[in-house]
Amino acid sequence: MKVTLRIFRFNPETDSEPYYKDYEIEADPKDRVIDVLHYIKNEIDGTLTFRRSCLHGICGSDGMRINGKNMLACSILLQDLGYSDANKTYKKPIVIEPLPGMPIIKDLVTDFTDFWKKYEAVKPYLITKSPPPERERLQSPEDVELIMEASKCILCACCTTSCPSTWSNEDYLGPAALLKAYRFIFDSRDEATDERLDIIDTPNGIWRCHTIFHCVQACPKEINITWHISKLKQKLVEREI
Amino acid sequence: MSFKHYGSRKSGSVGWLLQRITGIFLIFAMVGHYILMHYTPETGHSYEQSIARFSNVYWKMFYLTFITLGLWHGLNGIWSILRDFKMKSWLAITLYGIIVISGFAFWVLGVSTALKF
Ligand code: SF4
Ligand code: SF4
Ligand code: FES
Repeated sequence: MKVTLRIFRFNPETDSEPYYKDYEIEADPKDRVIDVLHYIKNEIDGTLTFRRSCLHGICGSDGMRINGKNMLACSILLQDLGYSDANKTYKKPIVIEPLPGMPIIKDLVTDFTDFWKKYEAVKPYLITKSPPPERERLQSPEDVELIMEASKCILCACCTTSCPSTWSNEDYLGPAALLKAYRFIFDSRDEATDERLDIIDTPNGIWRCHTIFHCVQACPKEINITWHISKLKQKLVEREI
Repeated sequence: MSFKHYGSRKSGSVGWLLQRITGIFLIFAMVGHYILMHYTPETGHSYEQSIARFSNVYWKMFYLTFITLGLWHGLNGIWSILRDFKMKSWLAITLYGIIVISGFAFWVLGVSTALKF
């Protein structure tokens, strides 16, 4: 089939403002978006810049906005976007843009500095104060179950950059960092619950979440982020009263 | 685009909980209000009938609760929306001041009206 990719381009060293460039290519409905991006980069325009690493939905580096939705380019087939007829010439282009609300380094590559700062702010590591037991710190299957879904996060930022609260206030902690806070606050081995609750219970913290669910729609790992944020809110209320 | 951390400033949780509790109260109160005032005219919209309602101690208690919780819910909601935007602290303090003062003024107006009868 023939499809056109309309790709957001911006090189801050040479362009005064971003523009969109069309690439008409021959593709298969079973190609992933990352495959066609590779094809364009390797065969048509070597200046096109995007991130990717694992190509299998594990590293979280190729989050981008595809036809208006944040997703991983390596985890979406063209047929899933509605381009499923191998013999057709599609008029409607596939629009590819960087994750919204982030500074752009070049083309589809965005600056994750702020995202990582927010991630660091919630102390994304196990904190223990009691002396270590002779063997490992054990967890029951129920304990693991409680943090299992939150542990699946691959830090792709599709959620945080789809959140309207982040768009209106760039200092809002955002769903990815809050999910990480949940992952340790509800970890039965962790001993820094209050410390972490203090960090999220701030004006730019959890209360900026208005349960809009954009993050849930965007998450390529199908994590129900808003449910986890609600559990954190409940925990904060219980602590306060 | 720098990221500011975050002194611990407790806490949004009580406001969040109260917003939900007052919201639930208002759902019932508003539905009751609409049924009573707009769909059952026989309950009375005349001056005398309104005064009679205001003179009843249960109605008075209901109106006082309605005024207090409705105002709190509405103004806390506005403040919560405003806080979604990055503001200079002088602007935030001014807006917060306007909300608190107008809330208090409307509350006094409402309560004094309800208590007149
Ligand atoms: S549910 Fe909360 S965190 Fe998720 S998109 Fe909505 S406001 Fe943002
Ligand atoms: S929660 Fe989902 S969307 Fe957000 S960073 Fe993790 S994997 Fe990506
Ligand atoms: S390239 Fe690793 S998640 Fe897509």
